[in-house]
Amino acid sequence: MDTLAKLQILSGAARYDASCASSGSKREAPSSGTGNTSQSGICHSWSDDGRCISLLKILLSNDCRYDCAYCVNRSTNAVERASFTAREVVDLTLDFYRRNYIEGLFLSSAVMQSPDVTMERMVRVVESLRTEEHFGGYIHLKIIPGCSSELVRKAGLYADRISVNIELPSQVSLQRLAPQKHKDSILEPMALIGREIHSSLVERKADRRAPRFAPAGQSTQMIIGASPENDFQILRLSQGLYKKMNLKRVYYSAYVPVSADNRLPVLAAPPLLREHRLYQADWLLRFYGFSAEEILSDDLPNLDETFDPKTAWALRHPEFFPVEINRADYLTLLRVPGIGVTSAKRIIAARRFSAITPEGMKKIGVVMKRAKYFITSSGRGFERADRTPALIRQQLLLGDGIVAPPPRQLVFPGLYA
Amino acid sequence: MRAMNRYLYDGTADGLLSAIAWILEEEPDPLLVALSEREDTLFEDGFFIGTDATQAESLFFRLRKQAPDAAHTIYSFMLAEKEGMETSLLHYISLVFKHGDKVNGYLTHSAVLDIVSIAKKAGRELHRMKGLLRFEKLRDGAYLAKMEPDHNIIHPLAYHFRTRLRAQHWFLYDVKRRTAARWSNGSLQFGTIEQFTTPALSDDEKKVQAMWQTFFKTIAIPDRKNARLQKSNMPMKYWKYLTEKQGE
Repeated sequence: MDTLAKLQILSGAARYDASCASSGSKREAPSSGTGNTSQSGICHSWSDDGRCISLLKILLSNDCRYDCAYCVNRSTNAVERASFTAREVVDLTLDFYRRNYIEGLFLSSAVMQSPDVTMERMVRVVESLRTEEHFGGYIHLKIIPGCSSELVRKAGLYADRISVNIELPSQVSLQRLAPQKHKDSILEPMALIGREIHSSLVERKADRRAPRFAPAGQSTQMIIGASPENDFQILRLSQGLYKKMNLKRVYYSAYVPVSADNRLPVLAAPPLLREHRLYQADWLLRFYGFSAEEILSDDLPNLDETFDPKTAWALRHPEFFPVEINRADYLTLLRVPGIGVTSAKRIIAARRFSAITPEGMKKIGVVMKRAKYFITSSGRGFERADRTPALIRQQLLLGDGIVAPPPRQLVFPGLYA
Repeated sequence: MRAMNRYLYDGTADGLLSAIAWILEEEPDPLLVALSEREDTLFEDGFFIGTDATQAESLFFRLRKQAPDAAHTIYSFMLAEKEGMETSLLHYISLVFKHGDKVNGYLTHSAVLDIVSIAKKAGRELHRMKGLLRFEKLRDGAYLAKMEPDHNIIHPLAYHFRTRLRAQHWFLYDVKRRTAARWSNGSLQFGTIEQFTTPALSDDEKKVQAMWQTFFKTIAIPDRKNARLQKSNMPMKYWKYLTEKQGE
């Protein structure tokens, strides 16, 4: 099989991995080689689904021993199999990089003979890129659960980011849908990576020449909508991963039906709105000072479809509002629907010079569509005072011209009845 | 008789900066002063300030020292080649010397808003082109990238690739402005190109391009097709030179 045919199979097999970030690492170009990384990351194209392409995202092989129900590459699925040689991946990466198609390589793989054999072959590819070709571009390497910690350590020395996919949000679902994967074999390398990143940072403080370990941190991904967990469970899991394992990112991937396995729900379409709301809530956890328990609860275990999670929180907490934009601190401003990190920073920077008026808000680029119901400027409201949450709710809906979203209820054929 | 607070300059970047330096020195309140490019009409109203490259340079040097962020904003603003913004720039620079780098937060001031938003747009296109630029390998082994950006970003773009692709020999060509950058054997040069003839591609170039086109197609998830999102992230004006968008 020629490289082009392999590329078609092995990029098609990798497209369900959501991560494409190339940010968070600042690597200088090697003096004799090619490539560096940019702290902010660079998108090189946007594919037909509108997602950013920044890395050559491929599997080393799709020839899988495992039989995970949700996965297109599971051993019982009748798809064409292919495997790259290390040389092919190295050449593709360099050919693409030199033409500025990509920021670097994202390499994952199906589990071939064993986790160790697979991981070793993956590590050999990036080792060759770094040490023989002196490649300085971005590398994201997947860790195959169950491989030796020796290989995890080696991976972290060559890659900018490494990640272990948590796949499903609970042990029960993992057992049901991915019987060959175990929770411990996923969490163990995550913890190991967390420790290695930490100790590398400590060593580099003492000695700038100490080796870096996965400088862009670790991330993970879980599939949304292939198993019955609610959003509250998912958000609490993410919160734990951010707090305890120091993860940089958790990616959520709306389940795209790739098989007719009777363990899987029947979906009319991938739950894209749910995925979107989870990303919004994830942002609230990471940048807005919210906790999972503020966003959802046992009584309210799923995210609102009509409103973004922050607006939904604001409507439940009328006592918090209105917020006075000329006095409120940063974290309070961040709680206002429609005011994000950029707007909050701009408000604080601008009010140093003079009090901000409603016109001033427009000038500095704050979108008032939602914010206007929740703020005052020097004591004056932007909309008529004493609005009830019910009224605001209605206004927001009519003003936004929101079309009723499609129902999210999944059908689990006979399984969870 | 000339008006007290109207000034003119010759239309060059050096002329602009030296006029601003002169006004900041001589005028008690530069925020009440207007500055514009001299047009050769008989009835022009205003006092002409001659160009002094040393003055221009020393102004920019002082800016860089006192307010590096603002100096960077001015640099990006200049890439936009926007006409008719001289007065805003004069007021902005006068505010920079009063408030330092904090001035970029003073977006409720219209001069600051003007300069910062134009600079942001130029910066955004520069960042975008770092991703969207496409090189083609030529028969002699050099790489060529053609582009038609809205802003005059060839200099900072070349600096980006000077470190990134230092091991290869490459050209950037701004088709609309007919300017070019050339990196070879460790030296970077800029110039203009009077007549451009497309050089022959290397033998394996079409093969590599076909691989990229294949990758581009298969990496999209068919169930999630979203042409609108694709276009808003990657406006169609950039498609002309994108390898993956040829033949669309």
